[in-house]
Parts: sequence; structure tokens; C-alpha cells
Amino acid sequence: MRVRLDHVTKRFGSFTAVEDFNATLEDGELVCLLGPSGCGKSTLLNMLSGILPLTEGKIWFDKDDVTKVPPEKRGVGLVFQNYALYPHLTVQDNICFPLETQRVPKKDRIEQAQEIAKLVHVDMLMHRRPGELSGGQQQRVAIARALIKNPRLLLLDEPLSNLDARLRLEMREEIRRIQQRTKVTAVFVTHDQEEALAISDRIILMKNGITQQNDLPQALYDNPANQFVASFLGNPPINYIPGRMQDGAFLADGAAEPIRMPIFHGVPDGKKVVLAVRSEAFTTEENGPIPAEVSRVYTMGKEEMAWLQIGDIEFRAYIDNEEGLVPGKQIRLNVRRRGVFVFDPESGERLA
Amino acid sequence: MKKQSTDRDMIFRGRFEVIEPYLYLLPFMLGVVVFTLYPVINVVLMSFKQDYSMLTRGFSSWGFGNYQKTLTDANFWQAIRNTLRYVLLVVPISLVLALLIANFLNQKLKGSAVYQSIFFLPMVTSVTAVGLAWKFMFNNRGVINYFLSFLGVKAIPWLRSSQMGAYNMTALVIFGIWNIMPFTIILLLSGLQNIDPQYRVAAKVDAASDVRIFFRITVPLLAPTIFLVGIVNTISCFKVFSELYPLFGGNPGAMGNLYTVVYYIRTSMMTYQDYGVASAAALILFGFIAVFTFAQNGIRKITERRKVR
Amino acid sequence: MRHVYRFFIYLFLTVMGLIMFLPFLWMFLSAFKTSAEVTASPPVWIPSSFSLINFQLAFEKAPFLRYFINSVVVMISSVLVTTVTSILAAFAFSRLRFPGRQTLFSMLLSMMMIPFEMLIITNYTTVIDLGIYDTIWALILPFTSSIFYTYILKNFFDTVPESLYWSARIDGASNWHYLWRVMVPMARPSLTTVILLNALASWNSFMWPMYVIIKDTNRTLPWGLQVFTTEAGSNPEQQMAASTVVVLPMIILFLFARKYIVGGVARGGLKG
Repeated sequence: MRVRLDHVTKRFGSFTAVEDFNATLEDGELVCLLGPSGCGKSTLLNMLSGILPLTEGKIWFDKDDVTKVPPEKRGVGLVFQNYALYPHLTVQDNICFPLETQRVPKKDRIEQAQEIAKLVHVDMLMHRRPGELSGGQQQRVAIARALIKNPRLLLLDEPLSNLDARLRLEMREEIRRIQQRTKVTAVFVTHDQEEALAISDRIILMKNGITQQNDLPQALYDNPANQFVASFLGNPPINYIPGRMQDGAFLADGAAEPIRMPIFHGVPDGKKVVLAVRSEAFTTEENGPIPAEVSRVYTMGKEEMAWLQIGDIEFRAYIDNEEGLVPGKQIRLNVRRRGVFVFDPESGERLA
Repeated sequence: MKKQSTDRDMIFRGRFEVIEPYLYLLPFMLGVVVFTLYPVINVVLMSFKQDYSMLTRGFSSWGFGNYQKTLTDANFWQAIRNTLRYVLLVVPISLVLALLIANFLNQKLKGSAVYQSIFFLPMVTSVTAVGLAWKFMFNNRGVINYFLSFLGVKAIPWLRSSQMGAYNMTALVIFGIWNIMPFTIILLLSGLQNIDPQYRVAAKVDAASDVRIFFRITVPLLAPTIFLVGIVNTISCFKVFSELYPLFGGNPGAMGNLYTVVYYIRTSMMTYQDYGVASAAALILFGFIAVFTFAQNGIRKITERRKVR
Repeated sequence: MRHVYRFFIYLFLTVMGLIMFLPFLWMFLSAFKTSAEVTASPPVWIPSSFSLINFQLAFEKAPFLRYFINSVVVMISSVLVTTVTSILAAFAFSRLRFPGRQTLFSMLLSMMMIPFEMLIITNYTTVIDLGIYDTIWALILPFTSSIFYTYILKNFFDTVPESLYWSARIDGASNWHYLWRVMVPMARPSLTTVILLNALASWNSFMWPMYVIIKDTNRTLPWGLQVFTTEAGSNPEQQMAASTVVVLPMIILFLFARKYIVGGVARGGLKG
């Protein structure tokens, strides 16, 4: 099912949680709503499920305007962060619950529950109660319950954040697998960029209720729309070098030599800017334009991560180390084309 | 619980969901309005209706006549005196005994469940039924005098008329203490169980004696609970009636002078058909209870605030 | 020193326990005694035979079987109705949204401090006006809603995570379905407590029946028992047999459900 959100706005009193949100989720797509806490992603999810009414705008499920349809009539499935399993019911009864409200005969209910339980690998646990299951198993049951009624839309509200690190990786793959098997349109809310990058077809990054960028995961990383997007994605975080444009080149504050790159064309001369460089975009170069001093080095296996000092600013870079980086060593750096951006320091707007 | 920012507009509400809450509340509110809210309002009004007649439901005028009548009635003052005497005897004695018992029960004892069952039993049994057993035990030749004879005490006429009716009162107080013990022990015990055991462990490490631990650690930490229980018991003792009834065959003491406030209300109503005086007396009783309830809420708020910090 | 102290504790508890149990002991034993044994001085403790003759005589002299049935009927109906009204109201206060919810609830809470003794005067006339004076309805209808039990249940309902509710709603459940399928089963411990406390209060209720019941066949046990004792021709041993009938069912109930009753009193005792 195709979901369209049309100028969706949600205000609580004078506080605007979501402002003029527009997006279309294609059929069978898994879209991540990503952003720091308080960015409006959960509010948006609650509006999709029908828990929260909209202040303005419309939501369309295919050709149906569901803006005023109550949650029980939307045909969506929702998986909560705390799973929200009914503690007094067995796994089977939990999974059957949505069918029970639809008055599906008991025999059919159990049959369907078996089927879906197999898909999420909890068919051996049907007669246990949620309290006897591990976090990952509870999560699987919650997904089964959300899926059993063949929802038009599957909503997942930070479903992995109550799991430990190892299970989180495993369940991430599982959710992706199950979603691709069922081909259900899914919305996945998370604050974890790594999770979002790994699982989704598309990411909508939000901040303070406003969409920052709606794009493919790789595009978000490679081509951030603004400084916030660049900061939010990537580990280690992107490095910033303040400076200004001079003769079509970037001159870092306190540096002697400018950095020249073709992408700088079009950025007005004399403007104060911030050069953003991903850690992996640095190269050592004998006569590179950026002088730096190595302050610390971490070996990370195939490459090394170095803490470098450029003027007063410390930043991190992955560097192919063939000559042996040692703390205190003076080196010169250049930057690659990929992973380098120029932002307006005030507005955060992308300039190049 | 997370606080909702506003109740309104927080959730979808169809037409049915707007009236739905009231349907859920209706049966409950029906009972509350008819048998609690209306009676409260009515008893206040009634207390100001002078010369109210139950038969015609008419009255001569509004005024303070009922209060005047109540407050100048020697029986009423006797009822107040008796009630206060009862409260002042039952509440402190039961608190001290219950505190000792609760403290002992709180220590790991063999057969603690058996002890608890025995101590809590009076809470579930009919006061008036057990009162009959007490009545026979208080007989001149009953078990209590029999036990006292071992201590060299001559037979005490517990339930008979005697000077000042002091024995009658004593019997009532003994029965009252016995009756309120379970409730008091339970509340103190649950208070004790809420005290972090590390305090006592720390004191034991410092080689403090059990008696010292009790007075220097347990009692001070339990003080707010003791206070609250004292107030709750005071309120319930103000309403003493069901303890009195079986001991003296439905009479207020052997000489008819062991009136309590609730007994006074009943007599005004049922014997003298004076609903105005009964209402006035009930409101005076309520005044006492209200003062203690406010004190209770005040203390609770203070202790809760302290806990938060 | 430690042993002396422990011994002292056991001694104290045992003596206090015996005192606490003495009335029950006296009641149960006397129920089997003969007239001579019950008034003997020094007291006779153990009856010569454990025959049920005193019970039989008591049941012949007064309609105790009728009292017993009345008590059971009143208890079951008022517990049943009160539980349902409390569940519904507690759910409305805990989960549903309507204007004035908080205000109404705190008003109700403040009404908890009103003593029943103060309401009796009006309720007595109300019962007469409703035409149910001296009927068993007079013992049931005034006890169909309880602010206290509603309060206890609401407190429990408040602890159920909101996500369970929304999960159920999204899965197509109405409020009604959610309440009975999810909330109520989850609240079983609190409900048990509420039902037990209510049953105890109803069974032992004495003052109200005394006001509104005159006819012998409409009396419940505690009130019937008091009338029995003041009537001529009832002997102490028969009174003790009758008292045993009143007291024993609740003692049995207590032995089975001590945890719930004690827990309920401990939690609810200081609120109110």
C-alpha cells in the first residue's frame, strides 16, 4: 500500500511537534523515520496509527483519506518499543488477539497464528507467557501479532532499543527479512543512524518537527542536504574546519595554504564557511595543503584512526598508515572529492 | 506515569467515544449520588431544620436550634466524654502493644505465619459476634476474673453497674484494643517492611543491642507511620458503637450512661425520632473526623515529599 | 544473651497470641458445652462431648438458616454489583478521557472521609421512600458503589502501560473489549483483594441492618444473632454456637486468602 502524508502538522498547545510534513511511502517500501529524541518521529508514527489526531493536513492510504479514521479501523500493525504484549495471555493468544477482535473463528485463528509464528520463529513457544520469553523472543511475538491481520502498513516504534547490542543486530536483519517476505509497507522509527542505514529502503531524517532530508540511505550519507544531516550520520562523526573562501579556494582559519577543489566553484569569495570532511576522506600527501600534528593513534585493524590537531581543532581521520604515525609527528593532509562538503556556518545550509 | 500534555485532543474521539466515559461512570455515580452525595448535603440541611418531623417531612424554621439542643444535652456531653476517654485509652495502648508485636513479627521467626494468622484474626470476624464471647468472659464468674484471681484480684463486676461505670468502660476499652490490634499491627508491620534493612544491619555491625536498635533506629524511622496509624485509629475509635452493643445487650453500659457519639445519634434518631438533633450530632462527629483527616493528609504529604528527596 | 532475648520474644508473642485467640477459643469450646459446663466456676475448658446439640437448638429457636442465606445473598449480590461498578468507573477514571475527570475524581476521594454513620440518617429515609425498607434490597442497593474499591482498582489500572491499550486499539479492540479481555485479567490480584474486603465488610455488617431490618426473616447473621441473644430463652452455649456460625466462614476465608486480605489492608489502610 502506498501511503501519502500531505502537509501533516501536529501542535500540542503552542508547541509544534511536526510541521508541514510531506512524504510518500511506496508500496512495499521500508522507510525509516530517523532523528534525535523530540524530533517528532514518534508523533508522526502515532498519527499514522491513529493514536493521535492531526492538527492540519491529511493522510492517505492508497486512495482512502484516513485522516479521521480511528486506530482500530486503519488496518495497521504497530510494534512498540516495550513490545506491549499482554502478560496474562500465552504467546498464541497474544498473536491471535487481533483476529479475536475481528471475530475470526478460533480454529482459523490458531492456524494463522501457527503460520505467522513460523515466519518469525516463535512457533515453539506458543504456550508460554511473555514473562517467560527473552527480549528478542518477545519482540518476535510482537511482530507476529502486528502481522497476523495482514496490515496494510506495519509501524515499528524503536523496536530494537530495548535489546542488547548483539540481539539488536540479529533482530535488525530479522525485521528486514520478514518485511521483505511479507512485502508489507513499513515505517521504522529510530534514533540510531546505523540501524537506519542498515535496514531501510529510504530514510527521512527529522529535526524539531521538520524534515531535513528524505532520501536513499547512501545518498543521505554521501550527499547531505545540510550540516545537521552531515553531523547526524556517520561514525566517527564528520569533522568540521572553519574558514573562508578565497579566490575560489578554501582557506582554513589560521592556515597558510588554501585547499582547492572543483566543488568549491560557485561558493562566493570571501564568505565565511565550514568545511566538513568525513574521517575517511583524508589522505596524507607530501605537499598537502593542511598541516596537522598527530596527537593519538588507534589501530583499528586494516587501518588506523588518528586524532589530528589542525591549528586549535582536533579531529579524527582514517589514514592508511604505511609510514607509521606516531604522536607528535607533523604531517600534511589533503582531502578526497567524496565526503567533503561546504556549509554556511550560520544557517547550516549546504553550499557545495 | 507520564503526564499527558492535555486531555483534550490527545486521542481520536468519535461521537460514541465522547459519551462512552459517562456510560462507564453511570452505574457507579448513581450509587454515589443517591447514597453518599445526597445524604451528605441532606444531613447538613437537616441539621438546620428546626422541629423536623419524619412523618410530614415538614419543619418550622431554619436555625441553630438542633445544635443548641445537642450542645445543651447532658447525654451528648457524656457521649463526647466517653468517646474521648475511649479514644485516649484505646489508641495509645493499642499502638504500643502493636508496635512491639509488629517489631517482633518483623524479625525472622519460626512459625511467623501462625502468629500472624492469630493476630490478624479479629479483623475478619464479626465484632458483634465476638463481642458476645467477651460478654461471657467478662462475667463475674467468667474466665477473666478467674485468671485475675490467680493474681489475687477479687472478682470485678466488669459489665454490672458500679460506681462511675469505670469497670464498664474498662471492659469496653479492653475489647476495643483487642479489636483494633490486627489492623494496627498490619499497618505497622508493612511500615517496618518498608524500612531499608541496611540501617539495622549497620547498627548490628556496630554491636548495638536489639533494644537499642528498636528505640534509636526502628521507632524514629517508623515515626511517620506510627503517627498516621494513630490518626486513622483515632478516627475509627471516634465511631465506636459495634463494640458497645453486644457487651451490654444493646444498652449503652449497665447503667445506661456509656453513651458514645454514634450511640447518641442512634438514640436521637430511633428512640426520640429527632432527626435534627441526630444530624447535628453527626456533623459534630464529622467535624472531629475532618480535623484528623486533614492532619493525616498533611503528614502524608510531608513524608512523601521527604521520600522524594 | 541472644538466646534469652529470643526466648523473651517468643514468650511475649505466645502470651499475646493466646490473649488474642482466647475469645475464639472460648466461643468454639462453649458452643459444645452443656449449660452447667458453660457457667461453671472455676471454668470448665474442654466440653464433655462434642455434640452439635447447641447448634441444633439455636437453629430451632431462631431462623439462623434463613439469616445465613440472607447474609450469603446480600454478600454475593453486593460484591458482584460493586465489583462491576468499580471496574467500570476505575477504567473510566484511569483510561478514558472526559472533561472534569481529575476534578470529579478528587471530589470523590475527599468524600471517602465521610463516615457512614453520618449518611445513615438520610439513607434510612431514602430506603423508606424507595419502598425497600425492611427488605433485603435495603441491604444491597446502598452498597452498589464504593469509592474506596474504585480508588484501589484505578491505582492498579494506572500502572498498566499505555502501549498495551493502544496496541489493543490498533488491533481492533474496543474500550469494552480491552477492559474485559486485558485490564481485568491483569488486575486479578487487586480484584481479589477488593472482592475479599468487600465480602468481609458485607458479611460482618451490623449497624445498617439494625436500622433498616425489622422482620425476623429478613435479618442477616450479625443482626439476627444480637436479637437472638436479647430474646428470652437463649442460653450462653447456644449463643456461642450461633456466634460460631457467624464467625467461622470468614475465618476459613481468611486462612485461604490471608495474603490478599492483609495486603489490601496494608495498602488501603492509611488512605481514606
